[in-house]
Amino acid sequence: MGNLIEMRNIVKVFPPSVVALDDVTVDFEEGEIHAIVGENGAGKSTLMKILYGLESATSGEIYHKGRRLNIRSTKEAIASGIGMVHQEIMLVPEYTVWQNVVLGMEPVNWFGRIDEKRARQQVQERIDEYHFNLDPDALVSDISVAARQKVEILKLLYRNVLTLILDEPTSVLTPQEIPRLFDELRRLRDSGHTILFISHHLDEVLELSDRITVLRRGKKIGTVQADQTSKEELAQMMVGREVLFTSLKQPCKPGRTVFELTDLSYTDPEGRKRLDGVNIHVRAHETVGIAGVEGNGQLELVNAIMGLLPIQEGRLVVDGQDLTHADILTRRGKISFVSQDRGRMSASLPASIKENVLMTHHRQGRFTKLMGLVLNNREAAAFAEEVREQFAVHMDGADAPFSSLSGGNQQKVILGRELLLNTPFVLLDQPTRGLDVGSIEYVHRQILAMREAGRAVLLISADLGELFRITDRILVLSRGRIVADLVTDETDINEVGYLMLEGKRNETEAA
Amino acid sequence: MRQKLLNGLAGIVVALLIGAVVMLVQGYNPVETYLALFNYSLGSGYAFATMLKNSVPLILTGLSAAVAFGSGAINLGQPGQLLMGALAATVAGLYLDLPPAVMIPTLLIAAALGGMAWSGVAALMRRWFNMDEFITTLMLNMIADFFTYWAISYPFFDKGANSPMTPPISRAGWMPEIGRFNTSVLVMLLAFIVTWFISTRTTAGYEWRISGQNSLFARLGGVNTSKNYMLVMLMTGVLAGLAGGLIVMAGPHRFIKDIGANYAWDGVMVAMVANNGIIATLLYGLFFATLQTGALGMELITAVPRELIMVLQAIVLLVVMAGRSYFDIIANKLAERQKTRERVA
Repeated sequence: MGNLIEMRNIVKVFPPSVVALDDVTVDFEEGEIHAIVGENGAGKSTLMKILYGLESATSGEIYHKGRRLNIRSTKEAIASGIGMVHQEIMLVPEYTVWQNVVLGMEPVNWFGRIDEKRARQQVQERIDEYHFNLDPDALVSDISVAARQKVEILKLLYRNVLTLILDEPTSVLTPQEIPRLFDELRRLRDSGHTILFISHHLDEVLELSDRITVLRRGKKIGTVQADQTSKEELAQMMVGREVLFTSLKQPCKPGRTVFELTDLSYTDPEGRKRLDGVNIHVRAHETVGIAGVEGNGQLELVNAIMGLLPIQEGRLVVDGQDLTHADILTRRGKISFVSQDRGRMSASLPASIKENVLMTHHRQGRFTKLMGLVLNNREAAAFAEEVREQFAVHMDGADAPFSSLSGGNQQKVILGRELLLNTPFVLLDQPTRGLDVGSIEYVHRQILAMREAGRAVLLISADLGELFRITDRILVLSRGRIVADLVTDETDINEVGYLMLEGKRNETEAA
Repeated sequence: MRQKLLNGLAGIVVALLIGAVVMLVQGYNPVETYLALFNYSLGSGYAFATMLKNSVPLILTGLSAAVAFGSGAINLGQPGQLLMGALAATVAGLYLDLPPAVMIPTLLIAAALGGMAWSGVAALMRRWFNMDEFITTLMLNMIADFFTYWAISYPFFDKGANSPMTPPISRAGWMPEIGRFNTSVLVMLLAFIVTWFISTRTTAGYEWRISGQNSLFARLGGVNTSKNYMLVMLMTGVLAGLAGGLIVMAGPHRFIKDIGANYAWDGVMVAMVANNGIIATLLYGLFFATLQTGALGMELITAVPRELIMVLQAIVLLVVMAGRSYFDIIANKLAERQKTRERVA
């Protein structure tokens, strides 16, 4: 048989009682691209981490070419030819490409010194062999994220890894870079490598892989041939019910202008211009998206709107009130905010769910007695219950720590808290980041409901699919400037993608 | 809650057992020693009253540290704030002579203000110069130490004394005794109730707690973190200052050199063992006071030196703190095994 790796009856329990993998049996053939798909928390990453020795299975067996493997560390995994590229890229930015690749197993000369010439040459050979189009002498800090990802893959190839595990490799790439990565992965497969890749982008999975294994809540739902299935079928397997992929938007007539940001500029302490004359207007009943590669001013934009960064130049008016220099509490009277980093900005993990839903509301009278000095515990508990019911949160009780919730449920609680603030303007910074398909759909429906209710919504997202699905207009942010203001229905992913990367329109195409 | 109580008790038992081993190794009889220890701190009305009186500065400085740490303010200035509170109460007690019903509250307020002023200095240094309170409070401890030493050696020196101390404060400012019990305990309990109420029931306490856990989240939620920081520093200064005032008013009735002893550092230790819990600080404070009070008796009856109590305290600290996560790990492992058995079967 062509079975290279078999994982049999894998069970993984995270203490105290979370069953991450529930009796999963799966096989991978030599020379195939095998996708592992599933919602967040389905167990995809855990399964792969067990194979790579980062986690140990509570019970179950792994066979490699029919031989029982007992992988307890990544070192043993690599010795068996199994390697993994993580979502976050881990390289030494001050080192060159070849230095990073050989790091840890440098070829040495007679005197025990690194044989730079040989090392560099070996790396160059690999680059040529797989057509990687990398400069071995470039500093990692100078190359793009896509190139860094290639360096990670190269590191594994240099260690003679034949089975490559990639954890959501496309999540850090722009739409233009993805096909290039896929070409390279296909070439690797054709040269005999086995590629296991984790994803929840179904289009990519269908395009790239030979076989697809679907996990749902720690259980294997099935393995299918990619050419014999469809996106709808996969989605149904993943979620357990039908999911709609079409645009959910109902036509809405925008009302008065609620959010006006005029000529916002920001220069950081190092003298770099991070925001340059940014103008954003959002009207009631309107959702405006901000597209852009991360690091093009999104962070500064959010911080300036929220009051974490003093506005140096420009003016911010929300709902007729000038908030340019207002304190955060005043801003929060007009602005609801969902951040991209739940644990850092939107919640306190050790605090209870109740304490988390109370934030900001506790300054608005309903949950306090005696002129706002004393907390009204009964009202607070009732409010937590209200959030649970209205936003379909799965939780044990409002007094459980926030960290006991799954990612999707955490985001529901945060959304619930923010939306119930009933502000005219809503700022969403990557609100679906790290969420599973079911939760993403839920969040999208909530955003559309807000728009219908007459709120002005500003959505910052790195996911173009998301922007196209729910926004009315898309602004493209590139190097701190808004380079395009597009009506969503009159543009397409390619145009926006090009603008994101180049910062200007594709002149040749337009001509 | 029950879980925490069990963890704490288990920690104490384990610590006492380790202490027993230490004694055995040194050739002492642990049973006899512990009997003497607890007899002299809990065994009689007098011993119990002494223990309670000793617990007052320990618990008040412990509460000060617990509130500060739990709110993300690293106020380590309890020793200095305690001394400044004690000095303020003493000076007020030397120059005022009012009826006790007015005098006692006045001196307590003076002590609170003394401690508050001292922590306020650190808070302002943070606000104006962005200096870390972790450093400034420690440095201010030194200044308070030598400043009070100077104060009792020169301006407020008792001419009749042959070591640095002030004359006694007015009689009206002495904390009255009810039977054997000194009323300073009542003041401490009142302060405890107020602190507990502020921490768990008020908007401010909620904001402090959340800010201590995640200050960026609190800020984005509209919490004025710098104002809250100021309030926390002032309140924890008040608690430490009260501790100092009560030492003077309940005990020697004057400011003697080294009056603060190690109370404040022990209080910080109590807060750490209690994981900044308010009720836990009260309970551990009582336990540590029991150990310290019994130490004297232990030294009298057995040949075990008083220093052993310091060892015992340190062991309790280590065992309880290590145990906190260790009990969870054991409980988790058991649950994990149980779950796996269910799945595989």
